[in-house]
Amino acid sequence: MPVNSYKKYISLLAFVAPAFILYAVFLLIPTLGGMFYSFTDWNGLNRTYEFIGFGNFAEALIEDPDFIHSLLFTLKYVLFMIVLQNVFALGLAVFIETRSRSKGFFRTIFFMPNMISTIISAFMWTFVFAQVLPQLAEKTALTFLDQSWIGDPNVSFFSILIVSLWNGVGYMMIIYLAGLQGVPQSLKEAALIDGATPFQTFLNVTLPMITHAITICFFLTLNGAFKVFEVVYGLTGGGPGRSTQVITMNIYEEAFSNNFRYGYASAKSVILFVIILIFTFIQIQVMKKREVEA
Amino acid sequence: MKKAVKGMLITALSAALLAGCGNNAGNAGEEGGAASGGEAKSVKLKMFIAQPRLKEHYDNYIADFVAKEKAEKNIDVSVQLEMPTADNAAQILKTRLASNDAPDIFALHAINEIPSYYKAGYLEDLSGQPFVGKLLDSVKPSVTTTDGKVVAIPLETLSWGYLYNKKIFAEQGLTPPTTLREMKAVVEKLKASNITPFVLSYKEAWIPQLVLPLAAGALINTENPDFIERMNKDEGSFTEMKAMFDIFDLINANGTGKATEVGGDDGAAAFAAGKGAMWLQGPWYAETILKSNPDMDFGVAPLPINDNPEATLINLSASTSLAVSKSSKNKEVALDFINYVLDDTASNDFFQALKFNPIATVHTYESYPWVNDATAYVKEGKSYQDPSIPQSVKDEVGKGLQAYYAGQISKEDVLSALDKAWKSYNKVNK
Amino acid sequence: MRQNKAASLLTAGILTVLAAVSFFPIYLALINSFKSQGDMFRSFVSLPTSISFGNYAEAFDKINLLGSTVNSVIISALGIGGIVLSASLAGYKLSRTTGKLSQVIFFLFIASMLVPFHSIMIPLTRMAKSLSVQGSTYGLAIIYIGLGVNMAIFLYHGFVKSIPRELEEAAYMDGCNEYQTFFRIIFPLLVPITVTIAILDFLWIWNDFLLPLLMLTDSESFTLILSTNTLFGEYNKDWSLILAALVLTAIPVILIYSFFQRFIMHGIAEGAVKG
Repeated sequence: MPVNSYKKYISLLAFVAPAFILYAVFLLIPTLGGMFYSFTDWNGLNRTYEFIGFGNFAEALIEDPDFIHSLLFTLKYVLFMIVLQNVFALGLAVFIETRSRSKGFFRTIFFMPNMISTIISAFMWTFVFAQVLPQLAEKTALTFLDQSWIGDPNVSFFSILIVSLWNGVGYMMIIYLAGLQGVPQSLKEAALIDGATPFQTFLNVTLPMITHAITICFFLTLNGAFKVFEVVYGLTGGGPGRSTQVITMNIYEEAFSNNFRYGYASAKSVILFVIILIFTFIQIQVMKKREVEA
Repeated sequence: MKKAVKGMLITALSAALLAGCGNNAGNAGEEGGAASGGEAKSVKLKMFIAQPRLKEHYDNYIADFVAKEKAEKNIDVSVQLEMPTADNAAQILKTRLASNDAPDIFALHAINEIPSYYKAGYLEDLSGQPFVGKLLDSVKPSVTTTDGKVVAIPLETLSWGYLYNKKIFAEQGLTPPTTLREMKAVVEKLKASNITPFVLSYKEAWIPQLVLPLAAGALINTENPDFIERMNKDEGSFTEMKAMFDIFDLINANGTGKATEVGGDDGAAAFAAGKGAMWLQGPWYAETILKSNPDMDFGVAPLPINDNPEATLINLSASTSLAVSKSSKNKEVALDFINYVLDDTASNDFFQALKFNPIATVHTYESYPWVNDATAYVKEGKSYQDPSIPQSVKDEVGKGLQAYYAGQISKEDVLSALDKAWKSYNKVNK
Repeated sequence: MRQNKAASLLTAGILTVLAAVSFFPIYLALINSFKSQGDMFRSFVSLPTSISFGNYAEAFDKINLLGSTVNSVIISALGIGGIVLSASLAGYKLSRTTGKLSQVIFFLFIASMLVPFHSIMIPLTRMAKSLSVQGSTYGLAIIYIGLGVNMAIFLYHGFVKSIPRELEEAAYMDGCNEYQTFFRIIFPLLVPITVTIAILDFLWIWNDFLLPLLMLTDSESFTLILSTNTLFGEYNKDWSLILAALVLTAIPVILIYSFFQRFIMHGIAEGAVKG
């Protein structure tokens, strides 16, 4: 038995080693390195630093209103994204599912933005928001298009959402489409014959059968939305002021522009990591429970 | 076979582990392997200059340098020039330095970055180099550290205040005002003729930020000479600089709309199209302005910030400057290049092609009209050296003024945020 | 029946409007890339009066299109190849082993999917420097493998569960060793999920910005996105030129999409459901 289990370990290691070594070198060790720096006052430039225990963490959570603001702003963004991205994606999927000939066409159109790099989408939309829409408003009667799309913090939150959704909905839509295909047509028909409205059928028959797809999409959206950076960076740069600054931008700013406080920035990213971890854990627990029930 | 691979991986891993945790060991031992004369020696020089728009000119000049080095010293130099965009430059440079991968020669901002990079020990002392003797007196202070060492060679120097549309001013019979009261009169006159007085472009935080060095410089050179020193000792407060809001408010109240959406390049287009008579901006936008309107006639004038005409001054500053890395293994060649930048024969054409201002006695080319405008003020003694405000405070003021413009925070909030930023700078750089 | 028809028309209408909105920015990028700067500012939405390829010619030159594309292809191909190979081995084995160790390793992989990139940026560059993989396209590909295996392992791990163990047992009976079993029996069965992973990683690596920015120094080794970024000049943005470059960088992705459309759709769905 011991020989056998020893052999087992060897075989496990042999299979896992190539992936694990590269992972350890380029992801695990740097992550631990970042955590290590989070306990120091290293400013990224100096050659020396000191250990300051939890000083950075305390400062971030107690004395740094900008960080707290960016945290709340990000939470708001995450919330909107989870709801809107999934509602849009599922809605599109349901609608497209009903088409027969134009299915492929619509799928392509909605998926296309997903293939364009986020940073480039953000630049493209800057052009649309700052140049095209005001001109369009001027030339047509659509005066509501003449907004301060990326200059007014109240509006720009929605501009950021628009671009994020534009970029991300297509991918989720594909997942939902696949989920919908797994719902037997006969079940839906049976419900309709029993006198259920299409909406009731959707709610009571379709939805429970695609909970797995919903779990996945929630997980992907949650994880991606917490780490949002490029859209905001390209669109508003976090401005005006810091009104649209998300956590990753706050971290970036701390590490590279302010006083280069790299240790402090690392502490903030550890906080972000912990938050994502907690939210993901809760989300998966809740969803798993529902999946089992369903 | 397996053993060998494993051994290699373990070595690599442990090397990486050590490297991951601080680098207190320094660079001992890297200086070894000096050349043993005779045969042509080959040297690879890494440069970092974040001005991709000027790549061609740098490439040409570097090629000339390579030829010269081969002819005179029999050294085969190959240069690897890294040119990221300005937006990412500071981040990349810092990452390079932090990972012990310093380029031999790198560009940095004279006023904003030299102090902290020098303090961290990355900059070679260049005081003894021949080029120093050629620098103009008005330029030298910007690359000299507080302890009197020259650590960089300035490339881009600036003499600036705000820009004004000469055609509009002439048509309205206006001249650049010398006091805040006169500025108000100019604004009224322009408004009466249905001309928007100012172009506003605050999308990038560094543009509203410009008002701070102008206001602080003016006050420091008239009534508050020891402001910077006191701030560095945690003894001053930005409430002393509150006057900057007088002019900032005036500009904002009489400017074009949607300012937080207009970037510098869009602002340049608007200014060139005559959408405003003045623009809070420096002449470094000249090329962009002329690109969108080649006939544009504009000038540089000092920005009045109060009613003391003595305080209406031109800001003299340097931005892009070249420094040599202290840990460079090819210092000799790097220094040769630095000196070649101010070469007696080649430098003149180089600077002219770059459209930079003359910075040294070897530069004899005719400068641009807007430069001459500013130089006229400088000759009258109406100028000062850009005050040394930490970059982090400048970043803060930019963001603060954006938010102030958007009506999100008050003057007092801006000022206290600035005090906090400077205190934090003092704490980090003690 | 009539109600059905009305509903069908309504969904068609909604989809068409949304599709138009979704396509609008791409349409703008396309048409304006053919205009001169002046033409463009006169009207952004109208079709170009005359089609000029001037912007394309200039963009082709400025972003070193051929060279940059080759770099992007090399990095993506090596990165994806490495990820698929190493992650399929690991994902398979981790899924088939139940011990503590295997659970711990799997957990490490999964947890790291949540690490924000910004927190590893500086340590990662130091590591790359000390291993001398910085500054080269090959080195960058290796780093992508390290950063990408976790997600791939997650997907393989889930997919392998759906493969009956009897197959392997049969192979062992026939005298295959573990590696032979894996490559002859298992790996071919992993093709659907492999396609998913390859596509996801392609979109990621091809479009990634920050990592190449930090790792590549020489403009000769720049990726397509990085070269495009250099067009965002310091003091001016030439939009018509930039849009032409954007279209050029998107073409390879669109081509790949049209060739592999079915696999992509199937792959994403498969990945999600089996994950």
